[in-house]
Amino acid sequence: MTDHLGPVLGGKPAPPSAETAADRRKRRRARRRPGAPRGSRVTQGRWYTPYLFMLPGLVLFAIIFAWPVVLALQMSVSSYDIISPPTFVGLENFERLLVDPRFHHALTNSLLFLVLYTPLAVVVPLFLALLVNLKVPGIQSFRVAYFLPVVTSMVAVAVAWRFLLNQAGVVNWLLSLVGLGPVDFLLDTSWALPTVVAIEGWKNMGFYMMIYLAALQGIPREHLESATLDGASGLQRLRHIIVPALMPFFAVTLTLGMLEAMKNFETVYIMTRGGPQDATLTLGYYIWHLAFERSQMGYANTVGIFMWVLMIGFALLNLTVTRRKD
Amino acid sequence: MSADTVRRQRPASFWVRRCLLYLLLAVVALGFVGPFVLLLSTAMKPETQSVYGFPPSIVPLPPVFDWFVDAWTLIPFARMLLNSVLYVVITIPLYLLVSAMTAWPLARMRFRGRGVFFILFLSLMFMPAEIMLVPRFLVMSQLDLTDSYTAVILVALLSSLGVFLLRQTFAEMPGEIIEAARIDGANEWGIFWRIALPITKPTMAVLAILGFISVWNSFIWPLVVLTTQDKFPIALGIAYLTGVTGTDMRGLAAGTVMSLVPVIAIFIVLQRRILSSMGGAVKG
Repeated sequence: MTDHLGPVLGGKPAPPSAETAADRRKRRRARRRPGAPRGSRVTQGRWYTPYLFMLPGLVLFAIIFAWPVVLALQMSVSSYDIISPPTFVGLENFERLLVDPRFHHALTNSLLFLVLYTPLAVVVPLFLALLVNLKVPGIQSFRVAYFLPVVTSMVAVAVAWRFLLNQAGVVNWLLSLVGLGPVDFLLDTSWALPTVVAIEGWKNMGFYMMIYLAALQGIPREHLESATLDGASGLQRLRHIIVPALMPFFAVTLTLGMLEAMKNFETVYIMTRGGPQDATLTLGYYIWHLAFERSQMGYANTVGIFMWVLMIGFALLNLTVTRRKD
Repeated sequence: MSADTVRRQRPASFWVRRCLLYLLLAVVALGFVGPFVLLLSTAMKPETQSVYGFPPSIVPLPPVFDWFVDAWTLIPFARMLLNSVLYVVITIPLYLLVSAMTAWPLARMRFRGRGVFFILFLSLMFMPAEIMLVPRFLVMSQLDLTDSYTAVILVALLSSLGVFLLRQTFAEMPGEIIEAARIDGANEWGIFWRIALPITKPTMAVLAILGFISVWNSFIWPLVVLTTQDKFPIALGIAYLTGVTGTDMRGLAAGTVMSLVPVIAIFIVLQRRILSSMGGAVKG
């Protein structure tokens, strides 16, 4: 899940020297001629040296990115069942999107997934971060514990949770202690989707927690101390100092959370296979189902392109909303 | 005032608060670690002890290790573990080299189309695996690479995170070192290989660890592109084991635990580095 972090994160770990990375950047920028690109020296090799360096990267880019995108666009206007060659069908696939009830159902489920997942990525991890930001002995081991699910595979997580969520499992036992249940979490159509969202959230919380923790440690301690001396309560410090200082990081977790929520195929595939009765059929799973279970490669790609446009839309929306706040 | 006297002067309420705090931390920790602990205990439960039930039995009495042997023999477990190791060992060095070679000109050279290339590599991140699955599968079948180790490895060799973080690191390098090397007669490749690469060791370590975790856990792409069991990585093997063991939780739990051991071991050994680098990357 760290793969899509690049542009959102700001670079390498803080350098050990007193001069911060930002200072150094500023110094270099001041020395640079206006309009000149970053980096201090002009290449002294031949004109093609930079392209030679990038050659392996560009070849890989072509194979795993550019070519697939071209194929996806081409297939979205074709009918293709893998066995016989693809035939051009124009916008037929896009028309089918409009009237396909399962597609509408998958879209609704994906949006519902997004709505339920976002608080698990943006709000809950903040409280975890506040907790592990406390300066008490042994706090590092709690950070490790909360982060543990992030490094494990989704399959392992699914095995553990399917076991816990069994009718006679631990979760239902806990529910029975307060006089509730039993609930058949993954087989009940109204519970299946929230359950899958909760497990996905549980697995990734530690990751968002670390983003907030880094942000919290960036808040100058004097601010918090002087607020305490002025008699501010914990809640007041949270509201007036911590939350404003974290604003840019909310934008990061929100963007990552929304991307993550749309990319839920793995979880859905492993936990429920879209069931029961399509209760967890999301766009990602529907694409897989169309392509590999029903051999409708063309239409699957059309749904994929719709999903891509949707995700870019969300990303842009996020950018504009957070820009306006600045 | 010595630390000792300070400690003695702390009021009782301080200790009460601290105990409650540890209690809270521990309860939350149980929520994150508990499921794995229960998985481990299930993997060691004897047949006479139920794995379900109210209240659940936590401690296996007596602990047995037969289920680990079962899981090992029910599927080609050793083979799948070896595959995962192979995928990691082949992928990570190549991934680091490709990322660095791509990032180096983007950070330190001037050439036509630099901005465009940078945006191209960044745009990788806006293409989630879900959408790329089908078209990538089609490309691999056109290249006649489906059901091959190569197909699994190729897709893991380039990521926007690698290019982005290394470009950042290269851009922070002091230019004087490069200048000195050039005066000493080093060519462009020599500068990259002998001067630039060693400087990026900390970033490389972060990328290698993150890469290891993601390759070890990779599931979707191998699922789509592989059909032969003997090429499965272990994460996919566990999904396969689910089908083989049926309702037998113990064998499945044992297999799952074994698949987690390497990645959890590495995480615990390197936890400080992993957690601080995650935080550092965000702070920038």
